[in-house]
Amino acid sequence: MGKFMSWIDARLPVSSFFRNHLSQYYAPKNFNFFYFFGSLALFIFILQIITGIFLTINYKPDASNAFASVEYIMRDVEWGWLIRYLHSTGSSFFFLIVYLHMFRALLYGSFKKPRELLWIFGMIIFVLLMAEAFMGYLLPWGQMSYWGAQVIISLFGAIPYIGEPLALWIRGDYVVSDVTLNRFFAFHVIAIPLLLFFLIYLHIAALHTVGSNNPDGIEIKENTDENGIPRDGIPFHPYYTVKDIFGLSIFLIIFAFIVFFMPEFGGYFLERDNFVPANPLQTPEHIQPLWYLTPFYAILRAIPDKLGGVIVMGISILILFVMPWIDRCPVKSIRYRSNGYKTSLTLFIISFIGLGYIGMNPPTPILTWVGRLFTLIYFGFFIFLYITSKDEKTKEVPERVRMDE
Amino acid sequence: MNRYFLIVILSFLFSDNIFSSEKIILDQVSINIHNKPSLQRGAKIFMNNCLGCHTLKYQRYSKFINHLGMPKEVIEKNLIFTTDKYGEPTKIGSLIINAVDEDFSKEAFGVTPPDLSLIVRSRGADWVYTFLTSFYKDDSRPLGVNNKLYPNVSMPHALWWMEGLKKPVEGNPKKYSYVVTGSLSEKEYKQAVTDLVNFLAYVSEPAQLERYKVGFWVLLFLSLFAFLAYLLKKEYWRDID
Repeated sequence: MGKFMSWIDARLPVSSFFRNHLSQYYAPKNFNFFYFFGSLALFIFILQIITGIFLTINYKPDASNAFASVEYIMRDVEWGWLIRYLHSTGSSFFFLIVYLHMFRALLYGSFKKPRELLWIFGMIIFVLLMAEAFMGYLLPWGQMSYWGAQVIISLFGAIPYIGEPLALWIRGDYVVSDVTLNRFFAFHVIAIPLLLFFLIYLHIAALHTVGSNNPDGIEIKENTDENGIPRDGIPFHPYYTVKDIFGLSIFLIIFAFIVFFMPEFGGYFLERDNFVPANPLQTPEHIQPLWYLTPFYAILRAIPDKLGGVIVMGISILILFVMPWIDRCPVKSIRYRSNGYKTSLTLFIISFIGLGYIGMNPPTPILTWVGRLFTLIYFGFFIFLYITSKDEKTKEVPERVRMDE
Repeated sequence: MNRYFLIVILSFLFSDNIFSSEKIILDQVSINIHNKPSLQRGAKIFMNNCLGCHTLKYQRYSKFINHLGMPKEVIEKNLIFTTDKYGEPTKIGSLIINAVDEDFSKEAFGVTPPDLSLIVRSRGADWVYTFLTSFYKDDSRPLGVNNKLYPNVSMPHALWWMEGLKKPVEGNPKKYSYVVTGSLSEKEYKQAVTDLVNFLAYVSEPAQLERYKVGFWVLLFLSLFAFLAYLLKKEYWRDID
């Protein structure tokens, strides 16, 4: 074995790669629950790629065959139903995990210096993921696939001058049609996954350059022993590999429960209307995107003007990119920050979840106004943070990390 | 065309409730797709009464061998009434379709009778059950019947010979009186519709028969795996303080 490895190592840096990124890559020892979601997101990405490949084997990206081919997978392909449910449940869980992963960054200030690029790569992944999910959702060619795509693409039409030609260019037709389905298939199965793969590589490369943050927000590299090893760091392998395997096993129990016992998840993961084939002549009573896009959809609807809504919705996503420069407080972790920050973050999370709920429901006068209030709070969070964070009264940050109780 | 969509979409985005429908209270039906006799009775009702207009075009007859517990010969003799385009009896591996021309049925009924493979997934079992028990006599309609749940539906009451024809009692819209009696009593008819809905629920997702069973073993395995993973983690982390 040793001889074989030295032969390999002389030609490919396998052993040093393993050392640099696993066995001698030091991570803070105080990771808590929220630190499972990075590796889980990577797991789900791989799961989506693998199940996606198997789906592609039997799926037909053709408006007259797409719906039937999905039903063919569900009924006639061996284990096809399992592959499809893993993929559909996987997409919802991908967002759930990514949202928790991002929430973690807000809690412990993981986007702050020196992790700005890491955060920006993550945000690009998030935006790509929304595009990936949106395009994938068209493929089953159900009523909600069709009309959801129709609504979302038409939003581009609100942009002055270039809007209509742009929407036409995206669709490739005057309405969502076979042409649109074909190109969305191409984007969903290869273009965006390739970009995602590249961005995930950059995200991890950036992470391994600066090292992980932790629940105390302390830079462990600033406190090293005589060998240059962080005193609060432990080798990623085996400590975090075994911990992440345990986290993964708990995650899989929840995931499998939904895949096998409630794959529709009450209409949140697979919508009822999407079991009706797309019909361009019949608009469903109520059109909404899947749950993971509804917070932004609610912001769009909160603005009583189409162009205004599109702009504000765009800003609501883009503003997250500049978080490292909005939050100017040098203290990273919420543990040592002011009550003002804790309160505003709580309100922000409540309004984000509230917007998600509102976006899932038909607009009523009350919901519209509540949606406007939540939109104000959503943006208010960033404004409040920009103004107060520079001179925020913070608690004293300890020298060394604390182990979680 | 684009302007038309813009209007539709704008009205969705910025309207207050213009498309919302009234809340309809559905009757509850309790079905069990593991009840094979019920599925068999439902299949019988479907093939005899529904297949004339509606299809199950994503489902194959051959699936009934295992799922409904029926031998191939019994299915061929009792459930397959159609022929293929050469006039030969439909093969057991075929999809469940009929010979109705789409344009013709659209002309006859105003709409093409929808395929019912997924009707329970898109509408729900309670909806289908309520729909099939909500037909009443209404002479103002071209086919002489109307439906409480789906007013002015273009479908005739195909099961009228089983249920009979009923009319709401004046003053109490929840009560009916029978104008024509059918071959079944009210209770028997409700049971027959339950069997039919059960069959359609099975057809809407045959994988249900399998996934609960597989799911049980998967969860059992994962629980054991999680337990071992926990022990492994604990063992490694003993030396971290």
